[in-house]
Amino acid sequence: MGVAVLLKQVPDTTAKISVSGSRVDESAITKWSISPYDEYALESAIALKESGADELVAITCGPQRASKCLTEAAAVGADRLIHIVTDADFMDSCTVQSILSSAIERSECDIVLCGKQAADTNSGSTGPGVASLLGYSCVGSVTEVSMDGGKLSATRLGATGLERIEVSGPCLLTFDKGEVELRRPNVRGIMMAKKKPIESIGVEDLGIEIGSPRASLQSHSSPPDKPPGQKFEGAGSIEVVVGKLRDEANVI
Amino acid sequence: MAYEALDFYDIDSLLTDEERMIRDVVRDWVEERILPNIEDACREGVFPDEWRAEIGEMGILGAPLKGYGCPGLSYTAYGLICRELERGDSGVRSFASVQGSLVMYPIWDFGSEEQKEKYLPRMASGELVGCFGLTEPDYGSNPGDMLTKAEDRGDYFLLNGAKMWITNGTIADLAVVWAKLDGVIRGFIVEKEDEGFTAPEMKGKHSLKASITSELVFQDCKIPKDRILPDVRGLRGPFSCLNNARFGISWGAVGAAQSCFNSAKEYALSRIQFGHPIASFQLVQNKLSWMLREITKGQLLAYHLGKKKDDGTWIPEQISLAKMNNVDMALEIARMSRDIHGANGILDEYPVMRHMANLESVKTYEGTHDIHNLILGRHITGIQSFTREP
Amino acid sequence: MDVVIISEAGNESLHPVTAQLVGASSSIGGKISVICPGGIGSSEAAMIAGVSKVISVEGDCFASYDCMAWCNAILPFIDGDLVMTSSSAIGREISAAIAAKKDFPVVQDITSLNDGISVSRSIFSGKAIEEVGVSLPCALSVRANTFQPAEGGGNAEITTINVSQEVSVAVKEALAKAGERLDVAEANIVISGGRGMGDPSNFSHLYDVAEEIGAAVGASRAAVDTWEEIPHSMQVGQTGKTVTPSLYIAVGISGAIQHLAGMRSSKYILAINKDPEAPIFGVADYGIVATWEESIPALKEHLSAVMSD
Repeated sequence: MGVAVLLKQVPDTTAKISVSGSRVDESAITKWSISPYDEYALESAIALKESGADELVAITCGPQRASKCLTEAAAVGADRLIHIVTDADFMDSCTVQSILSSAIERSECDIVLCGKQAADTNSGSTGPGVASLLGYSCVGSVTEVSMDGGKLSATRLGATGLERIEVSGPCLLTFDKGEVELRRPNVRGIMMAKKKPIESIGVEDLGIEIGSPRASLQSHSSPPDKPPGQKFEGAGSIEVVVGKLRDEANVI
Repeated sequence: MAYEALDFYDIDSLLTDEERMIRDVVRDWVEERILPNIEDACREGVFPDEWRAEIGEMGILGAPLKGYGCPGLSYTAYGLICRELERGDSGVRSFASVQGSLVMYPIWDFGSEEQKEKYLPRMASGELVGCFGLTEPDYGSNPGDMLTKAEDRGDYFLLNGAKMWITNGTIADLAVVWAKLDGVIRGFIVEKEDEGFTAPEMKGKHSLKASITSELVFQDCKIPKDRILPDVRGLRGPFSCLNNARFGISWGAVGAAQSCFNSAKEYALSRIQFGHPIASFQLVQNKLSWMLREITKGQLLAYHLGKKKDDGTWIPEQISLAKMNNVDMALEIARMSRDIHGANGILDEYPVMRHMANLESVKTYEGTHDIHNLILGRHITGIQSFTREP
Repeated sequence: MDVVIISEAGNESLHPVTAQLVGASSSIGGKISVICPGGIGSSEAAMIAGVSKVISVEGDCFASYDCMAWCNAILPFIDGDLVMTSSSAIGREISAAIAAKKDFPVVQDITSLNDGISVSRSIFSGKAIEEVGVSLPCALSVRANTFQPAEGGGNAEITTINVSQEVSVAVKEALAKAGERLDVAEANIVISGGRGMGDPSNFSHLYDVAEEIGAAVGASRAAVDTWEEIPHSMQVGQTGKTVTPSLYIAVGISGAIQHLAGMRSSKYILAINKDPEAPIFGVADYGIVATWEESIPALKEHLSAVMSD
């Protein structure tokens, strides 16, 4: 039984994002990292491997620079590295999901782990979409997973709080941040990872048909400048301010 | 805010992927483990044991050494490790410098096969801590006149004497000690349980407060015959260790300077006086631009020296110049940064006064600033000026 | 062009976002039908103006949440070229899974919808806005409270369908909520107190508010240094934690430069301080000049009213 983990390379969450010519300026991004929720998926995938899964396959889809996240995964224990190289600056969900699901089929893994959403788009479409295409079960917002006989036992953040669930058969789990501590790679891992080959393949090698895109990026823009601070007198203004937090700032 | 390391000349682009990854591992560790805890460690005057364990787990000790469980990295990677550690605190970098360059290195280069097997893997993993005994209370810049001596008593060596200013001394499991045997300087490995050996801690430092500094005292200390380093005689032994450590310092100082620069820049941008951020004032900009200029030069120096270390074309005087220049510039930047921070600069809210106090030690240890000048003076003129004798 | 809205349930009834979904899609035209998974809120959905049909899909599979089982159960009744859900965790999963099953593209968490169809959404944690053009058919999830809800007064027909669908995700137990307090560095909302709180025991009032909105409680260095009861782990600022929550509420904190260094990158800052000259107001998006004693009870009351909406 193999475990696949899907990793997306994103600008580090602390990186400055600037927009120039209606596109986010990628060249100004100084640090690219594995999307944080994917790191939790990776950590759990390593734990599953340590508790008996056969092989840990790390898969990423993206431009050449994205191979770095596979090397990072290898440094902490991934066995096999698959990079579907594409230079597209925007792919609709159908394209991404069909690429990833055919790469998973190629890896022959029946447990797939990924982050609940990527830190750049914050969408959360990939996990459930890929599970649908593969015909796998899907469990979202998982914080911990363990192998329990033939079944997976997982803790997920359900609508009413944390719950422990069991899932059998082929499945895809999306990860939230949990209590699990991420391991940091060490020098030995990095040196071994350097020697690990990356299966670098083009979309055409997957034997899938990519139709014309049905969603396209029209523009990026900077968020509107925040209005200057507003000051209110007295506790009587709290109702008004709370209303603004909801409707103006949209933070509660 | 993410740490944005000053890299004005994009030296990052000259690194290998592997060097960058190693740098990031150390950087993240410093961010997570050192920065939030360093002030407490300084206040208590301790080097937390978990730092030792975690540095060991990262696998960065004895970075450029090959075999015997050592990482076998490039000197550039070793430099990067020192830089990131010292961006946290010079004391943390000192721990790694002493362990790797001053203790593992001489065992690796001058030790017997048995000594290498016995100590190196457990030192690389951080399980064993080492210290280096060269300086004595009365012999600092002039180690050749050391008083510590070893006598061959047939079945064992007998050591007598004292060493001072020894980083890691009290927490060390073993010490590489330099002593005169029949008038010739030799290296000996002393283990902490050896009879007649004590390592009392020196208290009351205003600098490197999170680093342990000790005396090593040998009173009829008996050590087995197989603990002498067989392959080196004279000052070449300790000096070759110091070359490696000084190389690491030349990188480390850049890390401390980067930390002070960042703090000054952020502070200057957010501190409002006379209705404007102080960063908008010309005198402050002049200071910031001087810092950027000096750090950039120091980075280029350290990087190029790393390349020369890797291809073996270096000479010790080049290391002297890099150590001297980079520590001097880092100390000046720390002082200038403190100045920009105004009164806030003396608080432990900011790293600058800590770096400044640390760098006063760094300027003095591993060859004082002035001694490095004399080394260069001798190189230029061919005339040594260390001593009055011909 | 027909719109299918998959309703969101909250507390065993219809979540108000469902009316917002109807409101959002009404500008597009076409027939709007609402599918209520598990039948929850179907009668309320029928009363939203503009809804032409409510399909209440019921069955054992809806007893607990299994994304694929739910999607497979409702899939046969999705007859339209625009599928919409809320952008809650479950809403996103359902829209993505349905979209994949129907070979539709999906765009999540949209905040505006124009003809065409072009949608905009915030990316990079709000550091940029992305405008995406989508061709129909497609699926969209919509951020709550960004569209005007449709009004009441509708009277749509409700069709109840019983389905039987195999589930593969079994809920074994509900786990007690970890009693641990949220860490300031992780929380999406942080409420911090300073020395202006007067006494460390008064932080309990901040905890009351925090509980209401799922916030973490932080403190200024002045508070941490003054009172042993306030641990360093709560400290926000230069030597404490650097936080970037969506909302930072500073109570009784004057705003020393060291404190600002740890929180000024928060997306929104609400400051409550009785001193109108306190520097914290210089970085606040919303400032209230008042004592904490007057403000905190009112804050709690109004926040809890908003949260239970």
